[in-house]
Amino acid sequence: MVKDLEGKACEEWLSSLGLFSLEKRKPVGHTNLKLSNQGQEGAKKSQQPCLCLDVHQGQSILQNSHFKDGEGYDAVPNDKLSGHLDHEDHEDIAQALRARSCSWVWVSWDELCLLEGSPEAAEEAEQGPDAPAGGAVRRGKRAAPTAAAPQPAKLSRAELYKPPTSEELTQLKETEDLFHSSLLRLQETSFIPLIILVASSGLTPTVPCPSCAGTPELAAELQIEELLKEVTLKETKKKKIDVFLHEINSLLSAIPETPETELTDQAWLSKDMKVPFLQVPFNVKGRFHFVPPAELKVVGSYLLGTCVRPEINVDVAVTMPREIFQDKDNLNQRYHRKRALYLSHIAQHLSQKKLFGSVRFAYMNSNHLKPILLLRPQGKDEKMVTVRLHACPVSGLFKPSRFYPSKNNVRTAWFIEQNTPKEGATEPPTPHYNNSILCDTVMLSHLHFLSNAATDFPGMKDGVALLKVWLNQRQLSKGLGCFSGFLVSMLVAYLLMKRKIVKMMSGYQVLRSTLQFLATTDLSVTGISLAKDADPSLPVLDDFHRAFEVVFVDPSGLVNLCADMTASKYHHVQFEAKCSMEILDDRMVDGFQALLMTPKPMLRTFDHVFHLKHVSKLQGTCKKMQLLNELIDWGGNYVAAALPFVVSLLARGLSRRAQLVAHSLPQIPEWPIDAEPPKHKDVGPLTFGLLFDPEFAASTLEKGPQADHPEALEFRTFWGEKSELRRFQDGSICEAVVWEASNVCQKRLIPDQIIRHLLKLHAGIPESSISYTGALLESLIKTGKEAWGTGEEAMVSVVCSYDDLSRKLWNLKELPLTVTAVQGIHPALRYTDVFPPVPMKPIYSFHHRSKHLLLPSVGKPCPAYITPLKVICHMEGSGQWPQDKGAIKRIKAAFHLQLAELLRQQHQLVCRPAVTYTDVYKDGYVFRLQVAYHREPLILKEVVTPEGMLKYQDTEESRQLELETLHLPYLTSSLHGSPQVGFLRFLNLLATFDWKNNPLIVNLNTGLTDSDCTEIKNKFVAARSRLPVMFLATPKDQWSSMWTRERPSAQILQRLVLLASESLRALEGQLMDPLSDQDVKIVFRPPLDSYDVLIHLNPNQIPRHLENVDRPVKSVSRGVVKNSSATNILFPVVDYDPVQLYLQELRGNNCPNSNLSLKIADNATPPSLSALYSKNTTLPFRATGNTNPVHLCFPIVILDAFDDLALFFYDKHGGEVIAVLWKPLSFQPQPFKVSSMKGRKVTTLNNELVCVPNVEAILEDFEILGEGLVKNVEAHTEKWTI
Amino acid sequence: MRGGSGAGGIHGLFSRCGHVLSVDVCDKRGSGEKKDKLTSKFFEHKTLKGFQVAYVVFRKPAAVQAAKALSQEGPLLISTESHPVKTGISKWIASYEASIVDPKELKAEVDAYMQAYDKKMAEEEAKAAKEEGVPDEEGWVKVTRKGRKPGLPRTEAANLRVLEKEKQKRARKELLNFYAWQHHEAKREHIAQLRKKFEEDKQRIALMRAQRKFRPY
Repeated sequence: MVKDLEGKACEEWLSSLGLFSLEKRKPVGHTNLKLSNQGQEGAKKSQQPCLCLDVHQGQSILQNSHFKDGEGYDAVPNDKLSGHLDHEDHEDIAQALRARSCSWVWVSWDELCLLEGSPEAAEEAEQGPDAPAGGAVRRGKRAAPTAAAPQPAKLSRAELYKPPTSEELTQLKETEDLFHSSLLRLQETSFIPLIILVASSGLTPTVPCPSCAGTPELAAELQIEELLKEVTLKETKKKKIDVFLHEINSLLSAIPETPETELTDQAWLSKDMKVPFLQVPFNVKGRFHFVPPAELKVVGSYLLGTCVRPEINVDVAVTMPREIFQDKDNLNQRYHRKRALYLSHIAQHLSQKKLFGSVRFAYMNSNHLKPILLLRPQGKDEKMVTVRLHACPVSGLFKPSRFYPSKNNVRTAWFIEQNTPKEGATEPPTPHYNNSILCDTVMLSHLHFLSNAATDFPGMKDGVALLKVWLNQRQLSKGLGCFSGFLVSMLVAYLLMKRKIVKMMSGYQVLRSTLQFLATTDLSVTGISLAKDADPSLPVLDDFHRAFEVVFVDPSGLVNLCADMTASKYHHVQFEAKCSMEILDDRMVDGFQALLMTPKPMLRTFDHVFHLKHVSKLQGTCKKMQLLNELIDWGGNYVAAALPFVVSLLARGLSRRAQLVAHSLPQIPEWPIDAEPPKHKDVGPLTFGLLFDPEFAASTLEKGPQADHPEALEFRTFWGEKSELRRFQDGSICEAVVWEASNVCQKRLIPDQIIRHLLKLHAGIPESSISYTGALLESLIKTGKEAWGTGEEAMVSVVCSYDDLSRKLWNLKELPLTVTAVQGIHPALRYTDVFPPVPMKPIYSFHHRSKHLLLPSVGKPCPAYITPLKVICHMEGSGQWPQDKGAIKRIKAAFHLQLAELLRQQHQLVCRPAVTYTDVYKDGYVFRLQVAYHREPLILKEVVTPEGMLKYQDTEESRQLELETLHLPYLTSSLHGSPQVGFLRFLNLLATFDWKNNPLIVNLNTGLTDSDCTEIKNKFVAARSRLPVMFLATPKDQWSSMWTRERPSAQILQRLVLLASESLRALEGQLMDPLSDQDVKIVFRPPLDSYDVLIHLNPNQIPRHLENVDRPVKSVSRGVVKNSSATNILFPVVDYDPVQLYLQELRGNNCPNSNLSLKIADNATPPSLSALYSKNTTLPFRATGNTNPVHLCFPIVILDAFDDLALFFYDKHGGEVIAVLWKPLSFQPQPFKVSSMKGRKVTTLNNELVCVPNVEAILEDFEILGEGLVKNVEAHTEKWTI
Repeated sequence: MRGGSGAGGIHGLFSRCGHVLSVDVCDKRGSGEKKDKLTSKFFEHKTLKGFQVAYVVFRKPAAVQAAKALSQEGPLLISTESHPVKTGISKWIASYEASIVDPKELKAEVDAYMQAYDKKMAEEEAKAAKEEGVPDEEGWVKVTRKGRKPGLPRTEAANLRVLEKEKQKRARKELLNFYAWQHHEAKREHIAQLRKKFEEDKQRIALMRAQRKFRPY
């Protein structure tokens, strides 16, 4: 086969592969890519060899190919081809290519790294395989920034239609599929580089193709490129840093030696210099003197180019010369102390130099055995970089076998300060201690290892940077036992070694493969090792597993890179990786945003979070759990020693309830060199996060083994006195723990009970040290006396009553048309009411009685508010319905009358019919039945044009009716998870969502397909200016966003977003700080000083006063008693809320603010108003406007309205104040016109008659209109003067 | 004017100037034409909101002069001690009371309306049946949905459907790639579209960059 090819033109060669016919087809993508990349030179180069198909480690087989002016090409295959390809291979390639209709191919034998040498060539290598796809993206990325700066205006017609050059044509074509789609979304199916792997001997492929790891997707996308630009270090800064490093180098070698002293004699250090090491116990043998470093080497991410902002760290390994050390320095922290002394002498010396802005100490990854010296440049560059000096021993100083995980290097007798070791007692292994020394010995070799991996692998740099951002956003990359950036780099190197990653991959593919690996591999069970040659003397993985929770062995086979990590932390990482993989596989979600751009703090990740306020209590835990060996190993760090045990205790106790028990990483901040090093307790409160399994989290029973089983004893000791014998329904007698909880709200807090119990029992941590923030917010919606529930039970009882009513309606006899559907639309019926109604019975004597009516009494407090529970009752369609809107209304009224009558006759229910509804008093609730006829909205829309054509036009009336009867019933939601985290996530969504540029797609029950979503987005972008400011799309309402069409207005939305973000900040501050008073209600109390007028209300006339954020101390009788059994009573006062009536009069219409412009522009807000909106922040958003979509309109004339003059804000849940904000536009003097005299008075301004708002009269009106309700009107006149 | 008085109060106020025939309250200054009186107590009431205008019709022109002179006498008070205008709590209680419907009255009104409606419909139907197939003065015959050959309904939806069908029919007949210029034109158009999209995308990326969309923290 190969012979056949020899001497043939490239064209023929290709056609014999089945790639091209000999017609006018050409490998456009590839050739043109080169052209466009090289810009002007493209034309020249077209005469030169430009096709290069790499076959054998970077050597071209088509070196002599020519590209002739877009017409064709020819190429001569290189001789080197011979002997490598056989006929079958060609067939395979050809077949695969035909299948993928791909235009070019890279063939490689040994490795997938195709080209070595010049970066240019590497770039070509990247573009080659996926010319149509990858090329466009890469160029797009490059092209965009230059094009961005001067915004090009819309192309003129001439420009649009000018004849294209061939490059442009290709570019456009490539862009057609990719550019648009990859713009806004991370993952869009596109060509994967088609890599055909052929083993060198012509056998079957041995190297996994990257496409095996996941779906074939091309990564490199515009967004990632932009992100990387943001986080990576700029070249200019690198130069500055290099200069700084050189200066440090020269300074270090000039540090003078010191005379030799005992380790404990530290008098040679200056007084304001504190050794950065907790020297407990203080006494230790050994002598120390300072000798300038043998070597200085930059190690770590800086050289690899994987530094990620905002913290740019440059790690420098300072090699301590051999003279410093003696025999047995591996024992009893002698090495560590020498290391600390070495650093403190350097620090003392450097702190006198002017070069540094700051010289401070820190613990490396908060491990107190490993202090490091932080150096920052002087002046404005101080924030730019931190140089971290690590002291490390010269190579070969210690015998590696001394530090195997099973070896002991800290003697118990020394640690507990006994003079004579106990005889016969074996010393415990000290794996963490050993590991901390080993880490220092392998720094340089790790650097070499990583830089080898990163050679010719641009994707690694990008991938590691992305992974670092990913970890940072999840707060996993800092603290003791973190998943550090270094660890990630090593993991990528491991995957490269295992060929799960190949050097051709882009940053995104590296990210994806690594996440995939993390998601599927549990390193706490099956550890991995980078050690290549199996030296039989080295410890095996099992040895590591015995000593450490998570195992990832380095190339030397000695160091466990994950030594400090708890299994729980690794599971947390795994969990995050799994979530991220799900997101990447879900085509609906913007993976880029979710993975890399969104911070994910614990508070928003976990259902419940609790804090261990005083970590010093863990000392007691160590004692109680007998963790002396661990303490010795950890050098006395009781937090690190106890943490894994505490976490596993919790995990066992919560077992099925919790999917994940995670903890925050203990972190110790850096400190100045003249301060004592931080103690273990300085890590501050520890936070634990619990992620629940909704099915089991709230179960009250913990069933144990049968009483006569041997495990019963274990169960009893674990649960202590809580465990008791119980007899179950199946007759078995088992050990069991029963938690007390009478309602859902308390059941949600069962984990709280468990944790407090177990920590007290087994870890000796008192309850007072635990601050459980799982349900702090719930106090807001607890309704006083009802056993402190949060309304779930009340709603269940409402729903039961409703179900019964709907059954009765279905079966109602003697109704001329049957009921086809009954739909409850009150929030309580979908379990989302803030304060669900409770059964009530009126007290007659409290009310004013006229005939058979109960009315509110003028002299008494307003009766308790009884919510009418709206129920839509769909009647059968029939020819008997009239087709005229007036007649339909009458028929509906007749139905209301009849329903009331029939329910009274057949079910003895007290009913009160009205024109548009019938109120039914049942079980202490009032249901408001509304009859609906499915054709009515259509009839309301009918318009007959002058030509006699029947048209359907939306009218206000039809829209309202449709919302009520058609759309609202669909909005039933199934919310689960913890209420608190739900609320926090909601606030976060409000605050961070880009309402201006994106539709919020709520894909209920995944009713929208991928293409639907794309279509919605595209239409949204096209029609943005005509759409509501807050655009929601659901499967039932894809285009119109009917719920937000009228409100919120731009101003209110802006305010809402601001409030949400401020509230979130305040709440997270409160919830994450267990030492504060944790008053979460602050975010619900409005700051009133930003309003112009405050109307204070008389609490007696506020029927829902009890629902106030701060529950009133004194409550008044409201003329009802709780009762659900009353049947034959006078109808209670329903839906009477004077405050709402007052607001209606003030606002003058049902939809406040609807007359404000809905323009989306930053300048749409009038200047002063916007200034106000951007100040002052913690107004509860529940107070903004009127949330009920439809109001009852009484048949009276409402005469007053100040809608065009002011905005009115009120908290409908028992607020005592109506806040008024003048609209600044209305306050500008306007020319006198009779029609615009509403609420205005005439004055003269510059000899012209103008009218201005008559503020005095308006304020008086506020009082008159609300007579009896308004206590006083307070005007904040400092903000405005008329 | 403002105040919760309604027509009654105004009537009282102006009767001192002369005999008032009627007071007409409307929400805008208009031509002063009288609207049809509302016939129903329960239906079709419009809720007038906000500031309004009232037209007072006197029997004699002289009364208008007298009314004009009123403004010098100081403000007119609608709400007096003898005839207070209800506001606030007392007003809302009253309107709550008023909102409660007497079922019998309502039933009577609905029945009456429906009887009239039925009668009207029956008449119309009878008229339509009579005119069925009978040409009018100019000889046109009205096609209705009833009858032997029901025509298409005269609705917008039906109209659009027909138009769409016509369009499809025409498209099927048309040859798009027959002439060379059609080829060229199509290609040119395609390229122009691509260019446009490319430009738009570039702008969008630039916008995102300007908004710092890519800074992770």
